[in-house]
Amino acid sequence: MKSLFQNFRVLVALLVVSGLLGWATGGLQAADAATTNAVASADGHAHGVDGHVHAGGEPDFLAQIGYSYLTAYMFCLSLCMGALFLVFLHHLFDASWSAPVRRVAEQMSAVLFPWMLVLLLPILALQSKIYPWLSIDPATDHSLDVKKILFNRIAFNVLVPALVLSWGLIAHTFRRWSIAQDKDGAAIWTKKSRVLAAVGIFYFAFSLTLGCFYLMKSLQHQFFSTMYGVYYFAGSVWTTLATVWVVVLYFKDRGPLSQVISKRQIQDLGVLFFAFTVFYAYIHFSQYFLIWNAAIPEETFWYVGREQGSWKWVGFTILFGHFFVPFLVLLNQDVKMNPAIMVPMAAWAWLMHYVDMTFNIMPVPHPHGLHVTFWDPLFWAGMVSVLGYFFLKNFRSAAPYPLRDPRLKEAVTHHEVPAPGATVHH
Amino acid sequence: MATTATRATAAHGAGGKATKHPHDVPPVLRVAEPPAELAREALVLNNRSLGWITEAIAGICEKPMPKWWWPVFLLSAGGMTMMFSLVAYLIATGVGVWGLNQPAAWAWDITNFVFWIGIGHAGTLISAVLFLLRQKWRTSINRAAEAMTLFAVACAGIFPVVHTGRVWYALYPGFLFPVPNANAIWPQFRSPLLWDVFAVSTYGTVSLLFWYVGLIPDLATLRDRARTLIRKFSYGLFALGWTGSNRHWCNYEKAYLIFAGLSTPLVLSVHSIVSFDFAVSVVPGWHTTIFPPYFVAGAIFSGFGMVLTLLIPMRALFNLHDIITTRHIELMCKVLLATGSIVGYAYGMEFFIAWYGGSPYELYAFKNRAFGPYWWAYWSMISCNVISPHFFWSKYLRTSPVFVWVVSIFVNIGMWFERFVIIVTSLHRDYLPSSWGYFTPSWVDVFTFVGSFGLFMTLFLLFIRFLPAIAISEVKNVTPQADPHHPLGGAKGHH
Repeated sequence: MKSLFQNFRVLVALLVVSGLLGWATGGLQAADAATTNAVASADGHAHGVDGHVHAGGEPDFLAQIGYSYLTAYMFCLSLCMGALFLVFLHHLFDASWSAPVRRVAEQMSAVLFPWMLVLLLPILALQSKIYPWLSIDPATDHSLDVKKILFNRIAFNVLVPALVLSWGLIAHTFRRWSIAQDKDGAAIWTKKSRVLAAVGIFYFAFSLTLGCFYLMKSLQHQFFSTMYGVYYFAGSVWTTLATVWVVVLYFKDRGPLSQVISKRQIQDLGVLFFAFTVFYAYIHFSQYFLIWNAAIPEETFWYVGREQGSWKWVGFTILFGHFFVPFLVLLNQDVKMNPAIMVPMAAWAWLMHYVDMTFNIMPVPHPHGLHVTFWDPLFWAGMVSVLGYFFLKNFRSAAPYPLRDPRLKEAVTHHEVPAPGATVHH
Repeated sequence: MATTATRATAAHGAGGKATKHPHDVPPVLRVAEPPAELAREALVLNNRSLGWITEAIAGICEKPMPKWWWPVFLLSAGGMTMMFSLVAYLIATGVGVWGLNQPAAWAWDITNFVFWIGIGHAGTLISAVLFLLRQKWRTSINRAAEAMTLFAVACAGIFPVVHTGRVWYALYPGFLFPVPNANAIWPQFRSPLLWDVFAVSTYGTVSLLFWYVGLIPDLATLRDRARTLIRKFSYGLFALGWTGSNRHWCNYEKAYLIFAGLSTPLVLSVHSIVSFDFAVSVVPGWHTTIFPPYFVAGAIFSGFGMVLTLLIPMRALFNLHDIITTRHIELMCKVLLATGSIVGYAYGMEFFIAWYGGSPYELYAFKNRAFGPYWWAYWSMISCNVISPHFFWSKYLRTSPVFVWVVSIFVNIGMWFERFVIIVTSLHRDYLPSSWGYFTPSWVDVFTFVGSFGLFMTLFLLFIRFLPAIAISEVKNVTPQADPHHPLGGAKGHH
């Protein structure tokens, strides 16, 4: 606990430094933006598409790094928030099937603090390069002017770290209570977790919406959609379920979860993955269809921009890759328990979610088409590796499943419990 | 219990033995029993026998109806007659007998339609979605909820048809049904009103078949218990020769699963398409991308509200406390709390985006909702839908049937107001201030809506009179006796 607070102090210091750095570069950026805006097309400027793009049509070095980093960050944030949602779900539903897999989700979400907060620092440092709205005078932009209470540099620098910090603290609280129950088996930990889940889910819903508005949607601050928070949430949980499926199977085969994970858990995770495949498609279709059908320029520009050049094909890739392919593959019941199909499917889900994040972010610096740089895989692989390392470290530090969860008995008696004295075979 | 718990802890090294790594696999898995305070309550109380369950449920439609049934039935049938009379008056005279007019050309008619369609969501949700999620508690309430779905869809179907004015054109040769006619008038396939026709009729058909398939084993039970030839013939005809053989059960289970799979997307699609009636437009307050899931959540919310409104009195009047237990009521309250909160999120999101988007028209529409002439409707909606479910944070309140019943009425009221607020407050002040108006319902509006409850209740009362209101075979399936591995399992001692 002591080291946690020591880390916390260091982290706050780093946040302050990053914020100041971002602020300081903001002045330079504003001057740069003034020049850029003068040559940018009126339409492009109005929608923030060309705001940080050089005259040649490409972002500068730091901006490119910022956007590549942000894409990787939003991908990883999805996994953490999806895992946190699975923990919420378990407690809210008083579920039994998910008891043996809950610790995996708890440990995945626990990397939110401090690691996702630490990884936020470069975004704060490069904020002026990444977010065009930070360089726009609200007096010259109606859509920014109306929301300047929320969209200003102070609010951004305070609220975004606060949101990530609060998610991390919630995840740590769940994990701490869960591990405490391993020791004494007391009902109080379950009761406290249920209360936190019931109250926290409200905060989770609103804060995740605000978080993805700030970090991703605000790249084109003129765009508005009431569905956007749900859209990010649906994709996040989808990717997380695929990830948890693979992780759980890995640890079942490797031993730690071998006695508590049965076909039931594997299948149920697969079924939920399938359900969220449909849910994501439903949400994204609804958003697209309603915007397309109404054809109001204030909204359609967002999708029109994503039909330019090769972005159109990225859109089609999401349509088929995020929905039709997994939908058709997962329809069969047996597939959901077949690692030969599900492991590649999970890798596909990662790829598709990354493409989805790219589709949201990258048309801002590259409005004319998809442009993959060296930085994209580098940041993605680096961030996933760092977080994966800390996840494994967390996971090994405690029991691999909630040893004395009150619903564990229900979960494990669905398969044969070895007789006393039986030896374990691997 | 303490012994096994201690062993488990020691085996996993979480209790204190430093030499063991938490990830060492113990030779024997020992899992502690849950603490008594967290043990799940039984779904059928007092360890009732299978015979008792049959008698308690089948007995309702075999014995003469209690004294209250006839007055309530006559009152409901009177309401139904009133509604059909007013519909006849409307058709004979024209839609001018309603209070709607420009700019509010939709008002109580479509409000009532969406209200009833929403009510019709809980049945299939309980039957299909909760079935797929293996929520065993659904078995005590699914039958009545499914029946309620069908009756609500019947009520809903009336309003969009009669609101067209010349209903004979709507039906045949019609602009609602895809039947080409002599005047070459084809349906407008780009209109969401037409999508409604497909969505609602598909939903109604699949819900009816799903309900009927579930009824077959129970109809056979009633057939086998029948004491008169007419009853035996009637139930026997619809029981389709069910004998309860292994093969029958196998086919039944497969059919049930397929219907559950088919119904689940329908639950989502119907109200999503109903939401498109509004969201595809460019009307401030209507065009918002969250409408589809928001409408679905609202429909589940209102459907569960109505299930509670009907089942709490039914439970008391037919003494079904051991089958529809306090746990069932409590769980439904939690569903209300969850879906009411989702609806609350959507209300908040609409307001937030109206502000965030910077469109003055959108922002005005929402300010007008909350503080304009219909402020009373808006705040009634907020009070009933967003605030009232939060009483269910208290276990004491959600286990008090009377209190729950009162809140369920508020939910019904609130969800009607939600549709009224969406429709009327967005329409009554359009882009041209000179054409602004204030909608007031006529007496025909009011009594047609009141009469629709008569139709709904008449059908429901007939349902509990002639059909098993609770799924007998499904409730038996969740008793300990049905599980051969349970300490109280029926297979014990019978081998």
